[in-house]
Amino acid sequence: MLSQGFVSAAAIAASVLFILSLGGLSNQEKAKRAVWYGIVGMAVAVLFTAFGPGIGGYGWLIPMIAIGAAIGAYLARKVEMTEMPQLVAALHSFVGLAAVFVAWSADLERRRVLAARAADGVMQEFSAFAALVATKAPDELAFLQVEVVLGIFIGAVTFTGSVIAFGKLAGKVDGKPRQLPGGHLLNAGAAVLSLLLAILYLNGAGFWTLLVLAGLAFFIGYHLIMGIGGADMPVVVSMLNSYSGWAAAAIGFTLSNDLLIVTGALVGSSGAILSYIMCKAMNRNFVNVILGGFGGSTGPAAEIEGEQVAIDAGGVASALNDADSVIIVPGYGMAVAQAQTAVSDLVRKLRAAGKDVRFAIHPVAGRLPGHMNVLLAEAKVPYDIVLEMDEINDDFASTDVVIVIGSNDIVNPAAQEDPNSPIAGMPVLKVWEAKQVFISKRGQGTGYSGIENPLFYKENSRMFYGDARESLNTLLPLVD
Amino acid sequence: MKIGALKESSRGEARVALTPESAGQIQKLGHECLIETGAGAAAGFDDQVYRDAGVTVVDTAQAIFEAAEVVIKVREPNDEEAERLREGQTLIAFFWPAQNEAMLEKCRAKGATVIAMDMVPRISRAQKMDALSSMANIAGYRAVIEAGNNFGRFFTGQVTAAGKVPPAKVLVIGAGVAGLAAIGTATSLGAVVRAFDVRPEVSEQIESMGAEFLFLDFDNAQDGSESGGYAAPSSPEFREKQLECFREQAADVDIVITTALIPGRPAPKLWLEDMVAAMKPGSVVIDLAAEKGGNCDLTKPDERVVSDNGVIVVGYTDFPSRMATQSSLLYATNIRHMLTDLTPEKDGVIDHNMDDDVIRGATVTHQNDITFPPPPPKVKAIGASKPKPKEKEPTAEEKKAAEHAAFKSQTKRQVTLLAVGGALMLLLGQVAPASFMQHFIVFVLACFIGFQVIWKVSHSLHTPLMAVTNAISGIIILGAVLQIGSGSAIVTLMAAISVLIATINIVGGFLVTRRMLAMFQKS
Repeated sequence: MLSQGFVSAAAIAASVLFILSLGGLSNQEKAKRAVWYGIVGMAVAVLFTAFGPGIGGYGWLIPMIAIGAAIGAYLARKVEMTEMPQLVAALHSFVGLAAVFVAWSADLERRRVLAARAADGVMQEFSAFAALVATKAPDELAFLQVEVVLGIFIGAVTFTGSVIAFGKLAGKVDGKPRQLPGGHLLNAGAAVLSLLLAILYLNGAGFWTLLVLAGLAFFIGYHLIMGIGGADMPVVVSMLNSYSGWAAAAIGFTLSNDLLIVTGALVGSSGAILSYIMCKAMNRNFVNVILGGFGGSTGPAAEIEGEQVAIDAGGVASALNDADSVIIVPGYGMAVAQAQTAVSDLVRKLRAAGKDVRFAIHPVAGRLPGHMNVLLAEAKVPYDIVLEMDEINDDFASTDVVIVIGSNDIVNPAAQEDPNSPIAGMPVLKVWEAKQVFISKRGQGTGYSGIENPLFYKENSRMFYGDARESLNTLLPLVD
Repeated sequence: MKIGALKESSRGEARVALTPESAGQIQKLGHECLIETGAGAAAGFDDQVYRDAGVTVVDTAQAIFEAAEVVIKVREPNDEEAERLREGQTLIAFFWPAQNEAMLEKCRAKGATVIAMDMVPRISRAQKMDALSSMANIAGYRAVIEAGNNFGRFFTGQVTAAGKVPPAKVLVIGAGVAGLAAIGTATSLGAVVRAFDVRPEVSEQIESMGAEFLFLDFDNAQDGSESGGYAAPSSPEFREKQLECFREQAADVDIVITTALIPGRPAPKLWLEDMVAAMKPGSVVIDLAAEKGGNCDLTKPDERVVSDNGVIVVGYTDFPSRMATQSSLLYATNIRHMLTDLTPEKDGVIDHNMDDDVIRGATVTHQNDITFPPPPPKVKAIGASKPKPKEKEPTAEEKKAAEHAAFKSQTKRQVTLLAVGGALMLLLGQVAPASFMQHFIVFVLACFIGFQVIWKVSHSLHTPLMAVTNAISGIIILGAVLQIGSGSAIVTLMAAISVLIATINIVGGFLVTRRMLAMFQKS
């Protein structure tokens, strides 16, 4: 059995390793080392805590870890890169659920200790967490209750929210925003009820309050995420990521464990920053995204003149053969059509012909922050030709050909040109400045925001209709 | 239907309305092609080439008029040709209906349908049959070539063993299609090109072709594009400013190419006698507006004039015809596109759809009616976008002031935030037990570190970041580990489940991150 000093030292080491791990993600090469920092940090944290003072139940602990590790390894190996958003959402739900369980347990332990104290103060031998609770003063125990409430609430919202997000991303739940009649009033009502229950609980009501509280929070998580559409999922997933961190931090307070607090705070702030970046990329504020729907327009949208002109693979190929510089703008459509390998083949061929080929990635392209980068990396597209919006947006004017694959709103010029557009002010990729734009698209539908895209009607735009992967595969042999 | 191409009757016209290439395409529409013998000779297409392309070569123009339902040519018809038109026959050619009212009336009386290629509306759908633009493009190119022919020096600047050669300075007035083509040609020959146009919104196009736009400092510079992409007459004040600008340029430039035309009016005089006098001997003025009277005072149509101070003023009006092969190829393609629109079913039957904006606009007589001028097109012209107001560069002082204000407001915001945060902490400290506050310090510091660290994460690694934070948030397992040894069965059970799912999270998260990061590779 390791002493408390060892455990504390391990906690410090683990905290530092986690910080290094996150900081290392600042570039691709360092990141490969950074993930090992994370793994080692976690191993240190778990080992030293498990063999620290006052821990028992190894009969349960070790098999559970073994089974969990096996399942986790299996999932990680099996998952397709296009399924990353679902996986991340599913994993968040686990953290949420675990937080709820741990918080419930904490309260049960508190009740046991209080019951023992009430029974004529004879201190029986407590094991594990109960032993720690037994040392706490009454005011500390009162604060512990607040922490328990927070842990349960955040954890429960994270759990059902992540489950729904998982369902939406995996296509098991309809991606459209959907709410029960009453809309956000229901959420507000549930939140108010939760607050009442929390007050009851703090004033000594029974364990049932925590159960109902969790139920209400489950409902809020479910209903909130049901009301958010598919393309806003990058924000939702980052938000849930943040929540799972805050839940862990709340539990850390409950259990008086600094390592949990530090790690939870790291994860929480990470998710919060990601949400912020995503919202900024859509020029919407966080509340607007979470409450669903686009902001109202201030007038009729500008009328679009012209017509959409279709083109076949031969036309695209001849333009590509003549071009010196090409920029590809991928979107969620590329992920849906699993077209990343075809894109990669095309890029390889074009680069072999000495053309300058680059990718332009909008921050909210796809269903997860950085989703497109991972898909392109999987298809072996070198990361140094994959550029962010700010890095490449000024280069469109000097580009010969732009190929837009399955993205719509992020290349909509209305965001800049039409002040009445619902997406006015959203930063977009200025693809229309290039000499020619080809848009690979399944049909004439509108994007997530449901507004027309004037890009498709521009004189230098040509529509390359069809499934992205099939279109690219017919295009490939024609390019030389 | 039979489509017949005539040999051009006007003297010196070398172009032809049908090429072997366009004939092949027209035949695909289900039509039959005829051509007058020798029609393509001047453009480099002899009769045999036409025969090889499946075109029937006919001996006389009369025979074409008798056999063909659609007669195509380049220039407007002369009296004799108009006389031969018959009821229901269609003529496609440049017609200039505004200047040729008598001819228009004659064709109407004959009952022929006339499609004027010069009346094709300037909308994007009709660009493929915009013969004026294709001819103007050639004229602009040829103007530079003629200038080079008459100019005694290099276009491009060179430093040779025999001395330094300065680049030629070219001024292009009027940046329509011809002007832009001239700019492109002159810059690719290596000249230093400046260009002027009354429509300030074309400055972008001028700059994109590699020339410098001469910007007039004039307040209400008018919006010339309102009139369907063409220039409109300018006010006297504006004109004065403009001439002043040209006068400054005259002594400096070596070659002037003027292309300024206003639809339906004589060409504006922009290069006056005193400007020619100010030019260096050996300089060249190419006047592309010669047919409409010329932009230069000295221009004589179809002639090359040398001024007293040795400036050559070229006023040819047949630039496209001087490149007959190229212009015939383009013109024939324009005609072919017109026929494609006239034959929507591709079955060799002409459907003269007067509801179609393009066909309606170009048709000047139809079914014994004069249909000129056409109603305004339903779709607006291309150039109708308003010019963007030039943003003023902020001065150094303004910049400084703006920076200072930004700094001040930022400081104010931060101080407020800190004050509010501090007050909240104080309040919390009043109620919370000391042990809580100790943990809280750790929490706040960790948040700060988190914010600092995460901002540096590369955008492309956001998905791995989520996966790794996900794995790390599995630290919740510690909570379960702390509880699993409890004496209570239900607590142990819940802790056991928590350990299980948290482990899935940790292992799954880390492994998938590793998998993702391994995929990122440099080229």
